Amino acid sequence: MNRKFVAIAAVVIIIASVVTYNYFTSPEEQTSTITVSGAWALYPMMVKWAEEFQKIHPKVRIEVSAGGAGKGMADALAGLVDIGMVSREIYPAEIEKGAFWVSVVKDAVVPTVNKYNPVYEDILAKGVKRSAFLGIYVYGNITTWGQVVGRPEITDEIDVYTRSDSCGAGETWAKYLGKKQEDLKGVGVYGDPGLAEAVKNDPLGIGYNNINYAYDAKTGKPIEGIVIAPLDLNENGQVDKNEDFYRTRDQIIEAISKGSYPSPPARELNLVTKGKFTAAAKEFVNWILTDGQKYALETGYLPLSEERRAEELKKLEG
Amino acid sequence: MNRRSKDIVASKLMLLATIFSSLVIFIMAFALFQRSSPILGTQSLSELFLTSSWHPTKGEFGFYPFVIGTLSVTGLAMILAIPICLLSAIYLAEYAPGKVRGIVKPLIDLLSGIPSVVYGLWGVLLVVPLIRHYVAPFAGATTTGYSVLAGGIVLAIMVFPIIISVSEEVFRTVPFEVREASFALGATKWETVKHVVVRKALPGFLAAIILGFSRAFGETMAVLMVMGNVAKAPSSLFDPAYSLPALIANNYGEMMSIPLYDSALLLAALILLLVIAFFSILARVVLIRVERRSV
Repeated sequence: MNRKFVAIAAVVIIIASVVTYNYFTSPEEQTSTITVSGAWALYPMMVKWAEEFQKIHPKVRIEVSAGGAGKGMADALAGLVDIGMVSREIYPAEIEKGAFWVSVVKDAVVPTVNKYNPVYEDILAKGVKRSAFLGIYVYGNITTWGQVVGRPEITDEIDVYTRSDSCGAGETWAKYLGKKQEDLKGVGVYGDPGLAEAVKNDPLGIGYNNINYAYDAKTGKPIEGIVIAPLDLNENGQVDKNEDFYRTRDQIIEAISKGSYPSPPARELNLVTKGKFTAAAKEFVNWILTDGQKYALETGYLPLSEERRAEELKKLEG
Repeated sequence: MNRRSKDIVASKLMLLATIFSSLVIFIMAFALFQRSSPILGTQSLSELFLTSSWHPTKGEFGFYPFVIGTLSVTGLAMILAIPICLLSAIYLAEYAPGKVRGIVKPLIDLLSGIPSVVYGLWGVLLVVPLIRHYVAPFAGATTTGYSVLAGGIVLAIMVFPIIISVSEEVFRTVPFEVREASFALGATKWETVKHVVVRKALPGFLAAIILGFSRAFGETMAVLMVMGNVAKAPSSLFDPAYSLPALIANNYGEMMSIPLYDSALLLAALILLLVIAFFSILARVVLIRVERRSV
């Protein structure tokens, strides 16, 4: 009985010391950890940044998880993570609770339809007006694909999909329509990848995604089975040369930077924390706003303009 | 330490551990109640649960659609699960040879170990398209597939293990003498099972169903992924719906951003806790009485 007890105690002590090793090593050898969570929109970019930053700062560990902009904000305000990724603007109620943010890159939400949609060619040629989106997503008075493209003989119903989790993409898309995410009707699917899957599997589906989930990262084209529905911005019933920029990811990023694609649904992506960024997190965010910007384009995001960058840096330091 | 003090210390430690684990639920309920009092202060319970408008940014918190959604999908799951579980439990307890029981029981228990999100993914990949392309057209309805029916099917499968294993145990507690008496009167095996065994074991079987109901009621991830999350009370099996646990899981991110939202969500959590606690206690009480009777 005694020997067994000693053996068990020894095992427990060994395991405990291995687990708490980190806490007992001297400061120079200690690694610091930065925890990041939040928007699906920022997730690919943050993963790339974390990779590059850890290459030049091997003593820093960065842990990134997704879960939606709402989760990022909630985690940051609760002090559970150092950096929250929020893909929408910050609300006054959140600022009151101590949210401090900097914008770091820009991207956009695009509307998506299925490649096998019965009026696929009409949509590509004519585009979709903002009022049509309002009718589909908010007021519910546009229910068939025929109504969307002006061909009343097509009576296929529109299967509307939206995001069920509190997210930046939903808020941003709603903002473009002048509403809030809770006003968007439709079957709620969880997560950006989930929405893309839902539209991919439903020929009559319509949805919206951040560009990095609508476009394939390797080919730069929309992911298999999905087509981006062009916005008919000048409402003339057709997609003009200067409104036709959805074929590749690079095209749409260029359109965002030139302002041809409106903001919203394009918007700046933010990193938030409670109070102020400090220590390793501050260094990381500073790097993101300086050297980190060069990784934006290749990852599918638009870097901030010089003046915006200077503004945000000042905010970070000031 | 002499043997007597070791004895006292050991029993007191175990008492402490037990008190702690039983207190946890009261602590949780109390904390939830505290945090949900703001919204209980502004609106009455009937207002909260009987209005159907859910617009947190406008301060409207009507829980009715979520209550109906949760009740519909759980009710449907029970309707689908009860016949299958009853027949399986009877087969395993009365008819199955020992070897078959030895293989099937662990297989069913395996189902209970599968994580909820895996059920959800399987539901999205298989059940939702099945409903969209085969079941709905067969019934003459159109749907995206994300529906109460999808939720009911996935939930029914999730509660199979608990209902089957508890029912099977209950059927085994029926004393053999009772069966022997029935056979002596000339009854066939099925007649015995139907009129004697099941009759005697009915309270225990009800307890098993209640346990399954509690499990299904609080299930979050799988339901969230296949029900469609539309904040409107469903009017048919093929309509999408929104359950209380899914509401909490989807929106706890917005809690900090909209006034009273955190209070509303925690009220939903408190309701879930109370309902499940009530049903679990009920089931336990019935099971204890069944066991006592069979001794």
